[in-house]
Amino acid sequence: MLKRLLLVRGAELLLFVSLAALPLAVRSPYALGLLTLLAIYGILLIGLDVTVGYLGQVNLAQAAFLGLGAYTAAIVVTHSGLGLVGALVIAPSVCFVLGALLALPALRLEGPQFALATLSFTALATTALNELEWLTQGAQGFSLSRPPLLGHALGARDFYWLCMALLAMVWIAMRNLLSSQWGRAFEALRDSPIATDAMGVGTYRHKVAAFAFGSGLGGLAGALYAFNFQYLQPQSFVYELTVILLLGVVLGGRKSLWGAFVGATLVALLPNLLSNRTLFQAFSALGLAVALAAGARGLVRRTMRPFQAIAPVVATLTLVLGGLVVENTEDWRKAIFALMLFSVVVGLPEGLMGFATRFLAQLLRIAPPTLPPASPLDAVLPARPADGAVLLELRDLRRHFGGVKAVDGVSLSVRAGHVHGLIGPNGSGKSTLVNVVSGLYTPTSGVALLRGSALPQGSLVRVARAGVARTFQNLQLFTGLTALENVMVALTGVYRAPLPFVLLGLGRAEDRRARADALALLELVGLGDEARTPAKDLTYGAQRFLEIARALARKPEVLILDEPAAGLAHPDVVKQVEIIRRIRQRGVTIVLIEHHMDVVTQLCDVVTALDGGKLIAEGTPDEVKRHPKVIEAYLGNVGDVATEPAPPAAGARIS
Amino acid sequence: MPASIVAQMAISGALMGLVYALIAYGFQLTYATSKSINFGQGELVMVSAFFSLTLLDLGLSYWLVLPAGLLFGAALGLVVERAAVRLALEQKSEGWILLTIILGLFFFSAAENIWGRDDRPFPTPIPSESFHVFGVDVTPLELSVAVGVLAVMGLIELLKRKTLLGKAFEAVSVDRDAGELMGISAKRTVMLSYALSGTVAALAGILVSPITTVGPTMASALVLKAFSVAVVAGLDSGFGVVLVGMFLGALETLASFYVGSGWREAPGLVLLILALAVRPTGVFGKAAIRKV
Repeated sequence: MLKRLLLVRGAELLLFVSLAALPLAVRSPYALGLLTLLAIYGILLIGLDVTVGYLGQVNLAQAAFLGLGAYTAAIVVTHSGLGLVGALVIAPSVCFVLGALLALPALRLEGPQFALATLSFTALATTALNELEWLTQGAQGFSLSRPPLLGHALGARDFYWLCMALLAMVWIAMRNLLSSQWGRAFEALRDSPIATDAMGVGTYRHKVAAFAFGSGLGGLAGALYAFNFQYLQPQSFVYELTVILLLGVVLGGRKSLWGAFVGATLVALLPNLLSNRTLFQAFSALGLAVALAAGARGLVRRTMRPFQAIAPVVATLTLVLGGLVVENTEDWRKAIFALMLFSVVVGLPEGLMGFATRFLAQLLRIAPPTLPPASPLDAVLPARPADGAVLLELRDLRRHFGGVKAVDGVSLSVRAGHVHGLIGPNGSGKSTLVNVVSGLYTPTSGVALLRGSALPQGSLVRVARAGVARTFQNLQLFTGLTALENVMVALTGVYRAPLPFVLLGLGRAEDRRARADALALLELVGLGDEARTPAKDLTYGAQRFLEIARALARKPEVLILDEPAAGLAHPDVVKQVEIIRRIRQRGVTIVLIEHHMDVVTQLCDVVTALDGGKLIAEGTPDEVKRHPKVIEAYLGNVGDVATEPAPPAAGARIS
Repeated sequence: MPASIVAQMAISGALMGLVYALIAYGFQLTYATSKSINFGQGELVMVSAFFSLTLLDLGLSYWLVLPAGLLFGAALGLVVERAAVRLALEQKSEGWILLTIILGLFFFSAAENIWGRDDRPFPTPIPSESFHVFGVDVTPLELSVAVGVLAVMGLIELLKRKTLLGKAFEAVSVDRDAGELMGISAKRTVMLSYALSGTVAALAGILVSPITTVGPTMASALVLKAFSVAVVAGLDSGFGVVLVGMFLGALETLASFYVGSGWREAPGLVLLILALAVRPTGVFGKAAIRKV
């Protein structure tokens, strides 16, 4: 634990101390200029990494925010008396607001559509900077002078220190933010927006916040850019720059402050690398050697597909051969950059730093941070009274899709403390019913009431917050997060620190508490030992159990389990039944959709059977199993042939 | 402002808009089979145009260059599929967005160095003297664009509907896994869609070059508008792109006249962001029901 802290924090400290000391040794103004640029790009790329790395969306608007921030700062210092500090506050604020405005429409989008929306924004921003001549002086460019900082004129070296100080502050604030509930929510959003909503976290505000934050940092970098170059042109902030920035993040390594920094270094130094032919040849030869070694290793160990191993070799070989043939490497700047990136994206998808940190962690045997002892379960999930009063009531609920009446007038009551089974053949409307109650679909008509008051309609988040949690038939885990983090994301009632406190690092105590609480829930479902395993690496059974632990983190009054035993092997089915029993003992009311009749018989107090979207029978498990309409729904019209049809054998899977 | 001049501008713009529609159609083709689009499509348009220009410079006739250019485009489409798309699709990731951008950057840089940074004229046998119909002036060149666009789109749609290969294409579009189970190779269908998309891009390049000239940046504005058209119409809207393309073309000509030529690109961009905000599946697209 101490070793980890020392190494990780020590490396960061060493980086910033040496960066701060460098200008004392390096006197050349050119080198100082490069270092300043490095700090500016560092801030810019950390901002970009929020959307690209954590939200997992391709964001092509960062160059636009750099430009908008730069022009805002230039206009503020030129036309108002607010000076440097004012500009450094206003430029990020403007970009924060613009980012939030862009995120509002873009928020409904995923993947390519999001990329296109941000691409259009960049083009639009360039047009505006060019055309609003009265404000920006258009294509002829905007000249400004660097204002003094609180009365001190800033020389090149002072300005560099200012940029570095800001980079360090941004670094620390982002580390605090990304290791908090916010960072987990950003990643959860990337893996499963539906589950993020269903866990009451809310995709909406987190997506907007993440994008606005990244854009705000773009604005801050823009202000520094303006004071560094003291001359701005709209052409500097076009598509080409946005692509290079994006690629810098990917090359350095996503979801990593170090990665953003390495990416910034590459972006800032690339022109120099290319102007020196010998250096370029050495560099590309090194790249080829790495690609060959990594490719051969990947092929032998079968961790890579052939294309993944071969393509980077072809790309780097092209670089080496190109370096011998081409006269002026700088002309081929973009192609070289493209080839480098291609090799990294294909062969090293986690980026340079992602690879390096994993490698170093193995080499230095850095242990992951220790877990706190689990909280007592009574503190996390206080027992609720199982008084048998009506808790959840559906009144004539309908959901039609065009002519298909998936749910057609279902009324039922679920009593507090009960396990209420919901059965029916495939296509009988069980899942649609659950989707309507949990807010994924808006009902065509009818209402659902929780303790007599209407549940929100058509909003997963609001239903989750009202006290109804659910699991998913087709697992919707946050695959990139660990088991513990999956539960921590959904945990309610723990996170209270407002955002500014989180940025300052004052949210750590409640994060420790959340860790302990989440661990208690993992232990409840028997996953205490798997807390650090990424959800995608858990066994299928464990993933089903984790879904339940995560839903429990909502501390729900009603827990809807959508086929929790589907696809489980028999030993896991037994475990699952035991888990559901334990949850029921805490007084949590459960609605259970299940096809395994033995599971239903063992667990349920009341069973409702659906067919064709309508309720056909209700009663104890045994009553419902013997109900003629239920038998007809499952087996077809048996009619007169058997007046007393045998009930399905216990353990038989009816579907 | 007399109505006839407004009509003149709207019609010229709408004819130009058909080129946007054609490039947008190329996005639709690949989106249908693989839910992916080539973010470097503009570079395919440009590189194919340069390639065709080189053949013309070598003395080949326009009518020989045309099929050669289209074949070249198809080959480029296949390169994009192999290098940038297939791996990401196999891994079910969105890595293709980045990889197609990277490939586009590479093509751009290569074109800049091979053919130079200057804009060059593209000779064509089609006359450019305008004639008068229904009160507006139209050039045969503009008409050739319209005819070429509609003919190729019609032909591809006909193939999709009438041939077995086309049925396979449609089947994979609807449900990739079910198609595979029926013995259709989804991989080949995706390859076919990228080849067709490349062909369409090459045609757009050859048709539009005589009007805009050929240069490394010739397609960057075009493709941005094609994105707008594809998204506003919906990435699965079929002929919807034609209507939206013509509408956008007319709109931007009028916008550049009334607001200022620098704002020419603005309507398309605003329209795209609005469309995404209001109806992400597009005006003519089908809204999907979320399933879990």
